[in-house]
Amino acid sequence: MISLSNFLMLAALLFGIGLAGIVVNRKNIITVLMSVELMLLAVNTNFIAFSHFLKNNTGEIFVFFILTVAAAEAAIGLAIMVVLFRRSHTIEVDKLDTLKG
Amino acid sequence: MTIIQIIFYAYALVATVSALMVIAAPNPVRGTLFLVVTFVAMSGIWLLLQAEFLALILVLVYVGAVMTLFLFVVMMLRVNVVRFKEGFVRILPLAILMVVLMIGLILMVVSPKYFGLSEIPSPAPTAANYSNSMDLGMVLYTNYAYPFEIAAVILLAAIVAAISLAHRVPRHRKKQNPSEQIAVKKADRLRLVK
Amino acid sequence: MQNHLITLALFIIILPLMGSLIAGLLGKKIGRRATHRITILLVGVAFLLSCYVYMTIVILGHPTVSGLFYNWVTSGAFQFDIAILIDRLSATMILIVTFISLAVHIYTIDYMADDPGYQRFFSYVSLFTFSMLVLVLADNFLLLFFGWEGVGLISYLLIGFWFNREPAVFGSLKAFIVNRVGDVGFVLAIAAFLMYCNSLNYHTVFSQIPLLKDHVMRLFPGVSVSVVTTMSILLFIGAMAKSAQVPLHVWLPESMEGPTPISALIHAATMVTAGIYMVARASPLFEYSTTALSFIVVIGGTTALFMGILALVQNDIKRVIAYSTLSQLGYMAVALGVSAYDAAIFHLLTHAFFKALLFLAAGSVIIALHHEQDMRKMGGLAPYMPITYLTFLVGALALSAIPPFSGFYSKDIIIEAAHLSVIPGAAYAHFCVLVGAFITPLYIFRAFFLTFHGESRLALVEKHRVQESSWIILIPLLALAVPSIIAGGLLIGPMLFKTPNLLGDSIFVLPEHNVLLQLAEDFPGAHLMAMKAPRSFSFWLAISGIIVACLFTVSFPALSTALKTRWQGVYRILVQKYGFDDFNQLILVRGTRQLGQFLYRFADLVVIDGIVVNGSGRLIRWFAAVSRRLQTGYLYHYALVMTLGLVIFLGWFLLKGA
Repeated sequence: MISLSNFLMLAALLFGIGLAGIVVNRKNIITVLMSVELMLLAVNTNFIAFSHFLKNNTGEIFVFFILTVAAAEAAIGLAIMVVLFRRSHTIEVDKLDTLKG
Repeated sequence: MTIIQIIFYAYALVATVSALMVIAAPNPVRGTLFLVVTFVAMSGIWLLLQAEFLALILVLVYVGAVMTLFLFVVMMLRVNVVRFKEGFVRILPLAILMVVLMIGLILMVVSPKYFGLSEIPSPAPTAANYSNSMDLGMVLYTNYAYPFEIAAVILLAAIVAAISLAHRVPRHRKKQNPSEQIAVKKADRLRLVK
Repeated sequence: MQNHLITLALFIIILPLMGSLIAGLLGKKIGRRATHRITILLVGVAFLLSCYVYMTIVILGHPTVSGLFYNWVTSGAFQFDIAILIDRLSATMILIVTFISLAVHIYTIDYMADDPGYQRFFSYVSLFTFSMLVLVLADNFLLLFFGWEGVGLISYLLIGFWFNREPAVFGSLKAFIVNRVGDVGFVLAIAAFLMYCNSLNYHTVFSQIPLLKDHVMRLFPGVSVSVVTTMSILLFIGAMAKSAQVPLHVWLPESMEGPTPISALIHAATMVTAGIYMVARASPLFEYSTTALSFIVVIGGTTALFMGILALVQNDIKRVIAYSTLSQLGYMAVALGVSAYDAAIFHLLTHAFFKALLFLAAGSVIIALHHEQDMRKMGGLAPYMPITYLTFLVGALALSAIPPFSGFYSKDIIIEAAHLSVIPGAAYAHFCVLVGAFITPLYIFRAFFLTFHGESRLALVEKHRVQESSWIILIPLLALAVPSIIAGGLLIGPMLFKTPNLLGDSIFVLPEHNVLLQLAEDFPGAHLMAMKAPRSFSFWLAISGIIVACLFTVSFPALSTALKTRWQGVYRILVQKYGFDDFNQLILVRGTRQLGQFLYRFADLVVIDGIVVNGSGRLIRWFAAVSRRLQTGYLYHYALVMTLGLVIFLGWFLLKGA
């Protein structure tokens, strides 16, 4: 049978891949946003796994809200990206270094 | 090997591979599509966990709305397709090491030693008329009614924010602005040449 | 009875101070006549009160009085008070100070008549009188030091009175700075007193000295010196600067840049004698250190002889008298060194009179010639200025120790005392003062003859305008001439040889050093002493000095020029004042400047500005420049660093737990 540990390990893997997407990425910002979605997915999986194994549906309620907020955040992130693109005509991460000290 | 296990490992494999392709895809459109695949695979896994409602919501809302939005934006911005090699940085080895370490640390914590079947047993199967939606609904509209409303407000805020950020005033409209017209000065309109 | 003497002493001190304040603050408003009348009145009253005090304490034998005015500081074991001590020594000193001060005040009316700083001058002179009175009436070393510094300051102000003249400014600064050098010794002595006796009060300190007589202190590891010797020598270093002993004598000739009245007051009668007074006051201390006494004797003898020789080559009449003062101070120091403290004070007394007289007479000549001071441009003034001529002669005879003038008694006693003393260095001092007995009349009569006799070298225009000075100038001259004639004969018996002598308990002499006691056995009385003078060697030295001076100046003036050209080397050394000034200028002044430059360039610019101030700034900038590379602006770098931190934290917790 599948134990809780299996699910958690799968989630951990997805989380790591999402993290790698942020850190290793130099191509475009869309990849960053998508990696954030991946990390959120992994966290949601964690919640649902615990909720199932501990027979408490608070975890699922929490996932509900996380989904909501993630959707909102993705929308606003994309809007910001659109405005950014209008200004600098590029979405390459390399070109976005105005915060450079 | 029970059927459950086969399903689990299959879906898990698909999810992992497509997640890797998300970050490694040269073409961002393809990356987005791979993300869709990942979501669908995870939805399957959630079904295994008897979270039917959320699994379906994942596909409907997340894939259907959010990822569609992603695709829109990706296609709207003229993104150059870069080759594989150019995309990685000098710090790749260190980054990979960090990530591996991170994953390794988490895996150490969630190993079967602490969360295996002997520590946390598999729950008893539910009754035949178990409805996950009803279960959630019973709690959501009573105990968590307030956060529910706030979630709605958050969505409203997101709409307003996104629109006000990206909205551009059209340039070639023929609409008149009376207050601007009255505030005009002679110097704005007339230029004496001689 | 006691209380009223203290009140009188308070008045004696305060009256000149009041005069000074009125003249200084209100002088311009009340005008010249009111200023001089008020200050002279106040100093005159102080003088009369001093006479009364002197009579009560010295002549009528009233016991010593000490009075506390104000408890200034009490700090742990130390207590510093403003308190006075009226004993025979201080009574004598206040008499001298107020008398000469009064004479100078009166003299100034005419001398500074056309000077714009008239009221300022009176203010300064009265203030000086106040400081000097505090100095001599003090009952502890701290108040003495206050008076000491006060007279030094006023001396600076007065020497530089005509502050628009550069030599005057230079001279005043030199006086002040050289005095400061001596003050270092004085302050160290005060510190030693505090350390070993826990008090600065005369009585307390002197009573503890016999107990400290064999103590030693370790200056450096391996070098130990006697405590009493150290204290004495340090104290004498202070006296050396104030009383212009070699090598701290360099300020006195330049101090002649000030007006003549103050040369008379400060640099003849009062300030320069402060050092002599201080050593006499501290006689219970000096007696226990033969090393210090020898030191004093040698320095005194050197000053007496070598400064006298320098007076021979001066052309400015005031400089001759200034070097004469230096030489006579050397005599007083010799007397102190051979433990003849009474003789030193006696010579101080007579010297005050005749030296002030000489200065004021010289001032009268200078005024009559419209501020001409070079003797080479004088000559043959005797018929035109008879009273000045006579008073100058009186002063010169007193200085040359011709009986029966006062200088004869005081100087001869010193020569005899030096002869009898057995401490190391006394023989050298005896030789110096004996030769000085020849040199002194030589230089003063050279000045006398050059000024008043011989053919007139005045410019023709001046010759017709020379006339005797006004009575306001002549009265102080006459007033000073009288004691110059009689004070010696009158006072030698009571002062030195009666028991108890005039200074009584104020002076303490150990039996083995007491030369005056030995002299007392042979003392035939003042009258007989004058009669027996032709039998003494020093008398003939003095007479021959006068004759030689006459020869060189009046009879055969060409002789002096011949001597100058034949012994040019010696002449040059004398004109350069043995090189003391050059040494000071070259080594001390330039050395200090160069040290300052070096410290500025290295310590200030390089170390402090460069390394500490700018260096710390540059260090931080460098650090910031390195650190700013962390801020790349790239999102993924930031994420990596976040991940790194997170990994470290998690790893730490997990592995620690495991």
